[in-house]
Amino acid sequence: MIFERILGPLDSLFDRIGRRKTGDAPLAAFLLVPAVLVLGVFGIYPLFFSIYISLFDLRMGRGAFCGLENYTEALTTPNFWHSLVVTLYFALGTIPVAMALSFLVASALFRIVRGRSILRTVYFLPYVTSVVAAATIWRVLLNPHYGLVNAALGAVGFEETRWSQWLLEPKGVLYLATGGLIPESVGPSLALCCVILFEIWHSSGFMIVILLAGMTAIPRELEESARIDGANWFQVTRRVTVPLLSPTIFFLLIISAIKAFQAFNSFYALTGDGRGPVNATQNMTVYIYASFFLNGREGYGAAVATLLSVAIVALTLAQWRFVGRKVYYE
Amino acid sequence: MNRHSSVAVTVCLLVTIVACNPGGGESGFRPMEPGKVLFWDRQTTETADLLRKMIDEFNTGREGPAVEAQYAGDYSDIFRKVRASIQARAVPDMAVAYQSMTSEYVRAGACLPLDPFMADPAAGLSSEELGDFFPVVLETNRLPQFGGKMYSFPFCKSVLMMYFNKRVLAEAGIQQAPATWDEFLEQCRQIKAKTGKSAYAVSVDASTIDGMVYSRGGDVIDGNTTLFDSPPAMDVFRLLETLAKEELAYQIPPGSADDKVAFSQDRVAFVFRSSSHRTNMTLLMEGNLDRWGIARLPQADPAKPTTVLYGPNICIFDTTPEQSRVAWDFVRFFTSRENTVRWALATGYVPIRKSAADHPEMKKFWDAWEYNRTAFDCLPFARSEPTCAGWQEVRGLIEDAETAVLSQLRSADEAARELKKAADAVLAAG
Repeated sequence: MIFERILGPLDSLFDRIGRRKTGDAPLAAFLLVPAVLVLGVFGIYPLFFSIYISLFDLRMGRGAFCGLENYTEALTTPNFWHSLVVTLYFALGTIPVAMALSFLVASALFRIVRGRSILRTVYFLPYVTSVVAAATIWRVLLNPHYGLVNAALGAVGFEETRWSQWLLEPKGVLYLATGGLIPESVGPSLALCCVILFEIWHSSGFMIVILLAGMTAIPRELEESARIDGANWFQVTRRVTVPLLSPTIFFLLIISAIKAFQAFNSFYALTGDGRGPVNATQNMTVYIYASFFLNGREGYGAAVATLLSVAIVALTLAQWRFVGRKVYYE
Repeated sequence: MNRHSSVAVTVCLLVTIVACNPGGGESGFRPMEPGKVLFWDRQTTETADLLRKMIDEFNTGREGPAVEAQYAGDYSDIFRKVRASIQARAVPDMAVAYQSMTSEYVRAGACLPLDPFMADPAAGLSSEELGDFFPVVLETNRLPQFGGKMYSFPFCKSVLMMYFNKRVLAEAGIQQAPATWDEFLEQCRQIKAKTGKSAYAVSVDASTIDGMVYSRGGDVIDGNTTLFDSPPAMDVFRLLETLAKEELAYQIPPGSADDKVAFSQDRVAFVFRSSSHRTNMTLLMEGNLDRWGIARLPQADPAKPTTVLYGPNICIFDTTPEQSRVAWDFVRFFTSRENTVRWALATGYVPIRKSAADHPEMKKFWDAWEYNRTAFDCLPFARSEPTCAGWQEVRGLIEDAETAVLSQLRSADEAARELKKAADAVLAAG
């Protein structure tokens, strides 16, 4: 109603101005103004500004033009590469596991008739819970000395080992699992694995709901005819469900990859400062944050942020190029 | 959008961005809340109530802008917020800060030197008054790299202390807290052997490492070069390595109070914290003063004791002359003899004036428990930490090295050497 009242006179105005020449373009442009303004002020402008300040040796708002020095420094600093590796471990640790788990849960929920809504809500709850609140609870659960996890492990007879340090353990899980056969710097640290586990728990609810919606759109008769032809659950899933669900899976893959590269809250809230023990959980966003606010190097932080943006764009394009081809659209 | 429009939009965007001049043409700062003297602080609970009460007393009957304290998180949070506010050129009027933080603010040109305020005939401090402050608490605010000017004023001072649990010590057959580091290690081993408990809950903290180095007769910096590979510093990391390997100590989650909780539950014998934790510890120990005590840090040579001077200073930012003046008046009010005693009695910080020792309330407090005076007695030999720009970043590296040793990721020698290299690089970069 309100829209009609506002848009009606506007439409007439544009008619009088001369719609014959321009069609609906002026009205469309007018309606786009708020969105373009918001996007411009909070999206495009900061992006370009960030690129611009990355060319300055800015410290606390002051500094001289330094060209591409910040980029050179970033690409030759071990901490930058370490944070990139942490980011990759995080993405590789969360996305496949969360997607597989969500697919299984969604498949199970899809077949349940009674209580499906309640279960769907239950699985969705972690996603709508504040990351900070949930992470605080996880920190308490994983506390090496007072946490429920260690208490439960102790109750079932597990000895106190380095595993019990959880978020305080900078050594690699492979090192811990093999009793020191694999160097401690290889693979993600135990602290990072805790963050990965938290992220899987937190993000699965969203994936389950999206996958459930996708499954609902699959014509039942296709699965039924496959079953009549003698296909078992695995074959139906592989040959019918997954191909028809591929646009949904592809959407989740793109979104999850971008989210994994931009993850900050869970790192910060779980470890207290994001960096974790001996930088074990310092991913790219935490590194950018540290450069900006802990070390006061805005120019350098902006350069790393720009590199991260480039990495995300490249990754997304690669996904379109290589995975997008395999998506089946009806 | 046609090609011409695209070019026009891009040009407009670039002009706008360049007009923002990130290189720093704009030099002035504006108050974050004009008309108010905004003070960013970290006090919570009862101490925050007392601070507000004192601010109310200061504001009462005064004309002009009133002081208002705002909780802005812990010291690191405040540092981050002040940095962000400096970047935005809108700053609070006052904030609590350690010297290494103040150096960064001064480098950005946001902090006012306090010497003109102190020398002001009407609102300054007389030489007698200045002589009443412990020299170390004043001198730590003079920044040599910025012409030796005072850029902050002592606010809440405390010293690094060792808290010991008498029950745990008694269980292990120990009568007295350790006076030397050798005794400390020996007692830790004895506690482990006799009670099976870890002796020391470690809160990873750069100041504690600095204090341990000082107490071994060492230093952490010489000019612009760190001394983390010197024998006293190496000995500190080797001690931590031994404590971790023999499971005599364990690390608590960063920012948590798990060490104090474990202490209050008789699960550990030793905790190293600043004297300002005394009131909190008293609450945790449910007022039972027979169960625990406070001592100075173990020393290499007890005849020449040293510890770290903790506690923030207060710096005044370059907002408006009127607001800065009110901020200074508040600093003077807060550090008067009466108020420093009042603050010390309620909070666990130490009074920063020598004359506080003769104050009847202070004497009464010291007589109430044998350990109440221990922190004050450390003031004459307490040392402040480095004040140079870049030290704040070095603190993070020290804590990384400590964590690496405690988690046995690095040996003591490796951690110390890597720390020195990284810290020197930070300081060299300026």
